[in-house]
Amino acid sequence: MSQTSDAWIDAQLTVPASVQLPSVQAAYALLAQPVTNIGQLHNDRVAAWFQNSVRGPDQLRQRVAFALSEIMVVSQVSLNGYPYAVADYYDLLARDAFGNFRTLMQDVTLHPAMGVYLSMLGNRKPNVTLNIRPDENYARELMQLFTVGLVQLNLDGSVKLDAQQQPLPTYDQNTVEGFAHVYTGWRWAGAASFNASRASLINQVQPMQAYVEEHDTGSKVVLSYSGAALSTIPAGQTPAKDLSDALDNIFNHPNVAPFIAKQLIQRLVTSNPSPQYIERVATKFNNDGNGVRGNLGAVVKAILLDTEARATTTVSTAGKVKEPLLRLTQIWRAYNANSSSNVLNLANLGAIFGQGPLQAGSVFNFFSPGYAPPGEISTQNLVAPELQIATEYLNTQTTNYFLTMSLCYVPTPVTGVGCPAVRADTVVLDTAAELALNGDSAALVDKIADRLLAGKISDTLRAQARALVDRAPLTSPSLRVAEALYLIASSPEFAHQQ
Amino acid sequence: MSNFNRRRFLKASAAGGIACAMGHVPDTVFAEFAGNDTFSDYKALVCLFLFGGNDSWNMVVPSSTAEYNAYQTSRQSLAIPQSSLLPIAPLNPDGAQYGFHPNMPELQQLFQAQHCAVIANIGPLLEPIATKDQYANRSVALPPQLFSHNDQQDQWHSLKGNMQSRTGWAGRIADQLVSSTAAQQLALNVSLAGQTLFQAGAQAVPYTMGAAGPVAFSGLTGTDALSMARRAAFTTIVNAEYGTVYERGYADVQKRALLYSDRVNTALAAGPTLATVFPTSNLATQLRTVARLISVRDRLQMSRQIFFVSTGGFDTHDNQVDDQPGLLGGISAAVNAFYNATVELGVSQSVTTFTQSDFGRTLTSNGDGSDHAWGGIQLVVGDAVIGRKFYGAYPQLSIGSARDVGGGRFIPIVSSDQYAATLARWVGVPDANLNTIAPSLGAFPGARDLGFMM
Repeated sequence: MSQTSDAWIDAQLTVPASVQLPSVQAAYALLAQPVTNIGQLHNDRVAAWFQNSVRGPDQLRQRVAFALSEIMVVSQVSLNGYPYAVADYYDLLARDAFGNFRTLMQDVTLHPAMGVYLSMLGNRKPNVTLNIRPDENYARELMQLFTVGLVQLNLDGSVKLDAQQQPLPTYDQNTVEGFAHVYTGWRWAGAASFNASRASLINQVQPMQAYVEEHDTGSKVVLSYSGAALSTIPAGQTPAKDLSDALDNIFNHPNVAPFIAKQLIQRLVTSNPSPQYIERVATKFNNDGNGVRGNLGAVVKAILLDTEARATTTVSTAGKVKEPLLRLTQIWRAYNANSSSNVLNLANLGAIFGQGPLQAGSVFNFFSPGYAPPGEISTQNLVAPELQIATEYLNTQTTNYFLTMSLCYVPTPVTGVGCPAVRADTVVLDTAAELALNGDSAALVDKIADRLLAGKISDTLRAQARALVDRAPLTSPSLRVAEALYLIASSPEFAHQQ
Repeated sequence: MSNFNRRRFLKASAAGGIACAMGHVPDTVFAEFAGNDTFSDYKALVCLFLFGGNDSWNMVVPSSTAEYNAYQTSRQSLAIPQSSLLPIAPLNPDGAQYGFHPNMPELQQLFQAQHCAVIANIGPLLEPIATKDQYANRSVALPPQLFSHNDQQDQWHSLKGNMQSRTGWAGRIADQLVSSTAAQQLALNVSLAGQTLFQAGAQAVPYTMGAAGPVAFSGLTGTDALSMARRAAFTTIVNAEYGTVYERGYADVQKRALLYSDRVNTALAAGPTLATVFPTSNLATQLRTVARLISVRDRLQMSRQIFFVSTGGFDTHDNQVDDQPGLLGGISAAVNAFYNATVELGVSQSVTTFTQSDFGRTLTSNGDGSDHAWGGIQLVVGDAVIGRKFYGAYPQLSIGSARDVGGGRFIPIVSSDQYAATLARWVGVPDANLNTIAPSLGAFPGARDLGFMM
C-alpha cells in the first residue's frame, strides 16, 4: 500500500456512499405483477449489496454500514413487502456511517423500515376506555440494543455495580413506558391524517410523519443520569420536539460511548477488546478532539488505528472469527469474481452462511455480542459472537459451498464431479494466475495464500494443501487448483480475522 | 472407562457371562454401579421454544362467563371470541371453565385424553412472590431485566437468576449424566434450531444439526483415493494446533461435524420409515427429525437425550389478531404429529415435550398487539405427563388484579426453576442434585416438584 493507513482512512472517510435503492427501483420496472412479486426485489437489493461491498470505492464506509446493520437491526424477514425501505435503510447506514451518532439515531428512528420493524410506525396515544397503551417495542430496543444497553457502564465498558455487587440497571419499566409515549403519532408520510396514512413506493423511503391527533401530549419520563438536561419531557410539546428531546436525552447518556465503542470494535476488529482499548475509543466518541460528541468517522479511525488493532505479536484472543458472509465477499474480491451478466449475487445466503444483508431472524442479529461457546472461550470468560452461527450444520453448509465454488465456479469447471451448469448469473472466480502455476504445487498454494491469508499460511495447511494438489493429476489444472483453494477457504485460519 | 460400554457390560453380567466372577463384589457397590452409572431405560426431553414471547393468555382462555368477561374487558380487540374457544374439562377444576384457542384442536384433544398438562402463570422467579406490594417495594429478589427478550430467554435457558451463567439447564443435566451416558454415540444435547445457552454445559457440548438432520461434508465421503486423501488432509488441518481461541473454536466445530454427521446419517438411513404424517412447516420438519433420531436411539446407544426445537414470530407487538392464529395452530399441529410419532414408535411414555418462551405478554393492547410481560402458560405433552390437569394457578385476568404489576403483566405463581427441576428429575437427575440444575429451587421448599410428571 503506497498510502499510510492513516491517509487511506482519511481518504475513505470522504468517499460518498455507494447506494442500493436506485438499482432496486430500476428492477421494479422489470417486475411482472409487481404487487404480488414485490418481495423479489430483495434479490436486487442483495445484488446491490454485493456490488457495493465487493467493488464499491467506499470500502470502509460499506464495511462500517454492515457493522451498523448488525447493531441497529431491521430485517427482510419481517419487511419482505418493503424492499425499497430496506434498501434505503441500508443506504441510510452507509450515508451516516461517518457522520454524527445523534444524526444516525434520528434517521434510524424515523425510517419507515425501522418504524414497521419495531412497530413505532402506527403507534397511537393511550385510550383508557379500551385499555390501549403505547407500543413499547421501539422504546425498549432503541435503548437496550442500539444506544445505552441494560446496565450502567464505566467508560472502559465494565459494568457498574451496586453495594450488593449487582449490576446497576440503566432504566426501568417506567422509563420504557415514558419513551413509548414519546414515540406516538408517527406513520407513513404524506397523508391528511393518521388513520388515512398508507404505505407507498414513495413514502417507504421518506421519514415517517407525525400526526398530532395520535400523539400523546402528557409529560414523559426519560432517562435520569448525572448531567441529564431533563429527566421528564414536559407536557404539551409537538411530536417533533418530544422526539428531539428524547433522542438528546439518550444520546447524552454516559453509556452510549462505551456501549457503541465496544460493539463497533467487536464488529470490526476483535471480539475481546481490552478495557483500555474500549476506553480510548469511548473517549474519542465523547470528544473527537474538536469538542464534538458522537463523531463516528473519528471513532472508526480510532478503532482501526489503535495499537491493539495493529499489534504485530499475536495473542490468543487477538482478532475475531470472520463472519461467513464476509469470507465470501473476501474471496470474490480477491478473485475478481463476476458473472457473465455482470451481477454479483448468490441465492439462499441464509441456508449457506447463516446470514445475509439485513436478513437476521430478529432484532437481536444473527449472533449475540456476548455469545461464548462451551469450552475454553466460555471458561476464560471470553466471547466469540460469530461462533454462534458456526454450528456444525452451518459450518458444513459453508464448507460444502466452498467445495462447489472451488470445483465448479472457476474458468473451466472440473468434469465428472457433478458441477451445476454455469448460468448467466453464476459468479465465477478468476483463478487464471493459479492455473498458470499448475506444475508447481508450492507456488500454486502460496499464490492462494497470498490472496486469502495475506501470505501468512501455517506450515500444516501449506503442507497438506501441497500434498493434496500433487495427488491430483497434472492433466487437470482446475482440479489441482480446486483442491488447494478448498482446503484454504475452509480452514480455521481463513475463518480467523487478525 | 472411556471405551468401556457399561450398559452392555451390565447386560452381559446379568445374563450370567461374568456374573460368577463378580460374586464377591459387595452388593452395595454393585447397586451403586448399576444405579448411578447407567440407565436401563430410554428417556428424552424435547424443548419447544417459542421465540418472541408467546401471548399465552390467548392460548388457554377462561370461558365461564364471569372470568371471560374480565378477560374480554382487559383484552378488548385482542380477545378471542368466547363461542370459538375449544372447551376442556380439567380433572382438577378451579371453579372456572377454560378452552383452548380455536386453532389448537389437536392440543385440546391431547389435553382431554390426558396426554397434555397446562402450567399456568409460570415464569422466572428467584423466590415466591405472595403480593404485588412485595414487587413494588422490592422486598423480594427479582430476576434482573424483566420484560427484555434476550435476558428472559437466558433466564429460561439458564435459570441463572442474579448470577452470570455460561451454562444452561439442559447443559448441566448433560454434565450430571456424563458418566451414565458415556456409551452414547451422539451428544446428549442435540439442537435442530441453532445454538442456545439452554444446551451449553460446562463440559458437555451440544450438537447442532439442520431441521431435516445433519448434512454431510460433500467431497469427503467418497471411497476413491482422492476423496480419501482430501478427507485426511481436511482432518489433519482441523486437528492442528492453533494460536487463537477463535481458530480453535472454529476447528472444534468442524471436528464435531466430521465425527457426528456420518454416524448420524448412517443410523438414520438404516432406521424405520415413519408412517405418521407431519404438517409442512419448519417446526414440523424439526420434530419429524427428532422422531427419526429417536427411532434410531439403539443404533446410537442413546439412553438419555434432550432435543431443542423452536419456532418464532411470537413477538406480536403488531397485527396480533392476524398473526396469532397461525402461530398457535402451527404449534398444535406439529406437536400433535410428533406425539403421534412417539406412539407409533412405542416411546410415548419415554418422550416428554415441553414449551418455553421469553415471557407472557400484557393483557392490555397497544392498539393492535401486546407487549412484553412476565408470567404465562406453558404446555407439557407425553404419556409420562399426568395430563388433563392445570398446575400452578390460572390468575384472574383483570387489570389491577392481585398479581398484575401494571397493564396486565402477571407475577408468576410457579417458577421456571420448579418446572425445570420437575423435568430434570424425570429424566434422571437425583433429587440431591436438582439444585445444580435449578439454582433457585431452594427458595421453593416443599414444592421442588410441580407434580406433572409420573
